Amino acid sequence: MSGAGGVGQMEDRAIISVRNLVKYFPIETGFLRRQVGVVKAVDDVNFDLNEGETLALVGESGCGKTTTSHCIIQAQRPTAGHVLFRIGDSAPMDLTQMEKAELKAARRNIRMIYQDPYSSLNPRMTLLQIIGEPLVIHKMVESQEALRNKVAELLRLVRLDPSTMNRYPHAFSGGQRQRIAIARALSLSPKVVIADEAVSALDVSVQAQILNLLKELQNQLGLTYLFVAHNLAVVKYEADRVAVMYAGKIVEIGETEELYTNPRHPYTEALISAAPNPDPDTKNRARIVLAGEVADPGNLPPGCAFHPRCRYAEDRCRREIPQLVEVGGEEGPSHRAACHFASELELAGISGGAEEPERERA
Amino acid sequence: MTAQQAGERDATSAPGGDAAADPLLSVRNLQTHFFSREGVVKAVDGVSFDIKPGEILGIAGESGCGKSVTSQSILRILPRNGKIVGGEILFNNGDRTVDLATEEADGRVLRDIRGKEIAMIFQEPMTSFSPVHTIGDQIIETIRIHQDVSKEEARDQAVEMLRRVGMPNPVRNIEEYTFNLSGGMRQRAMVALSLSCRPKLLIADEPTTAVDVTIQAQMLELLRDIQADLGMAIIMITHDLGVIAELTDRVMIMYLGKEVEHGTVEDVFHRPQHPYTRGLLASIPKMEPGRVEIEPIEGVVPSPYAMPTGCKFHTRCPEYIAGVCEKRDPPLTAVGPGHEVSCYLYGGREELE
Repeated sequence: MSGAGGVGQMEDRAIISVRNLVKYFPIETGFLRRQVGVVKAVDDVNFDLNEGETLALVGESGCGKTTTSHCIIQAQRPTAGHVLFRIGDSAPMDLTQMEKAELKAARRNIRMIYQDPYSSLNPRMTLLQIIGEPLVIHKMVESQEALRNKVAELLRLVRLDPSTMNRYPHAFSGGQRQRIAIARALSLSPKVVIADEAVSALDVSVQAQILNLLKELQNQLGLTYLFVAHNLAVVKYEADRVAVMYAGKIVEIGETEELYTNPRHPYTEALISAAPNPDPDTKNRARIVLAGEVADPGNLPPGCAFHPRCRYAEDRCRREIPQLVEVGGEEGPSHRAACHFASELELAGISGGAEEPERERA
Repeated sequence: MTAQQAGERDATSAPGGDAAADPLLSVRNLQTHFFSREGVVKAVDGVSFDIKPGEILGIAGESGCGKSVTSQSILRILPRNGKIVGGEILFNNGDRTVDLATEEADGRVLRDIRGKEIAMIFQEPMTSFSPVHTIGDQIIETIRIHQDVSKEEARDQAVEMLRRVGMPNPVRNIEEYTFNLSGGMRQRAMVALSLSCRPKLLIADEPTTAVDVTIQAQMLELLRDIQADLGMAIIMITHDLGVIAELTDRVMIMYLGKEVEHGTVEDVFHRPQHPYTRGLLASIPKMEPGRVEIEPIEGVVPSPYAMPTGCKFHTRCPEYIAGVCEKRDPPLTAVGPGHEVSCYLYGGREELE
């Protein structure tokens, strides 16, 4: 299938459409690097990233959320599948089919922010060089003066003092460095920003500053975010929609409020229940503590990959892989889950938690 | 067992009703400084707290607040350039009280207490284990250092402890090396090692920070169960206020080496008084239905080499009082039974005059 095959597949509002995305890593052994197996890091992932929204990819380590984001910008070439990207009314482009030169142009519009601002910024470069580098590479500025003006503007955008542009990253705190990383990501005026655990390494008071800054920039510049994260409370605050991943697959996707208050996949329910809540009144709530650990993507269980940890699992779950299907009903926004029993189970979301201790006391 | 534990919880959380037991550990005006070429960092600068037998105390704060250095001071496992320069760490060791701050760090007294009376678990389980010995050998060694038992008895105790922490197959696990175990199982093995001599106090330094949320939930459940079972006191050190709320009875909030607020977890979370505590709680996204706004604390944590004078938080404080807060350290002021705050909003200003 070529890029043209994807044209009809993009939804109206989508800026990026991920179609049947697959990324396998071979497991090799010995001197001859004989392949003995395969790690299914991303296994048939489909979603649309709509223009102007924040879509969160959440899940535990090894669920494939970071690999998915890398496959979108082609930092890792997917094993199969398509990543369709469209600006405005132009024809969709399939990033997976592009050559290097074409990709370079497309990547101007899709930028990344990484977790650790201590390792993502080159310590030997000044802020001017760090933030200005993409502008120079993409020949977006004519003169040194224009570069300085543009970098000053970007620094003001992320609320840093433009007079610091000749300093090095070590002079800045973690939160300030993440602002520098954001300024660099925004230097080419991208349409989409992929934030991979962008606030996970920060202290909570600073994390809140960056979360709010990202929101302000989104409103100001009309950005679209793919927000890769593991902290459910942060995602609740930041995202419009959420996709929950488990063992390389999306198990549930829907609007944030709906997904948190009315989860339809047992894994989502367990994640919500396990998240520690900074309220001592919920101390004695009944938690779902999953037994065991995340499925090994190199050795997946048959059927639904979550079934060994699922308290609702039945025979069918051990045999048949559930498909991601619509569970939200006819009207209203889409809500999909990959569980054989999504329509039968009564799962608890975040509203239930706080009331239980009251009942216990009474 | 649970009833007894519930009783203890009530006693510690009931205001003023905890006078019965003598503290197990009493830290008085602890000062731990680090000496480097750039200067002196007052990592812990006059911290005091008590912990009673069977109590769970949380110490919370952001990076650089001194929470980990406090725990390293108690066990005297500070990095080489760190030194306790003042204060007392009084540990009630059954028949006598010892001051851990003045004992030799590698002397007899501390070696007897470390691992036996006070044990510690870390963020990274591999910190606790040697990779070239089996888990069993390491637990058995720890038991035999501190108790006069035969190898077979020690082995039985080790198996029993691995069973208690929920290892799936203790008899087999005891022969395994840590690299054979998954992350979650390593954490359990680490807890088993730390509890193998039935310590009176367990210090947990960010034990759930590097793990996934479902493993974190398992770990918190394990600590809760094992505390109810064995009845030891726990000091939980973490930056995660969710973990504090879920596990602890009392909490001390620290900022730049100072204690800013201290009280029952209910008081501190529902009636926070210090502007820093309030700011911290307001900046965490909540797992609640509907739109809950968050408010960051403005500014950045000052450099440890250029600490503000007076109240360390005054440079970021929304309620900063000019001419007061930058003058001197605010004293701890009681704002309720067992609830203390170091802030000039609540008292201490008369001493400035």
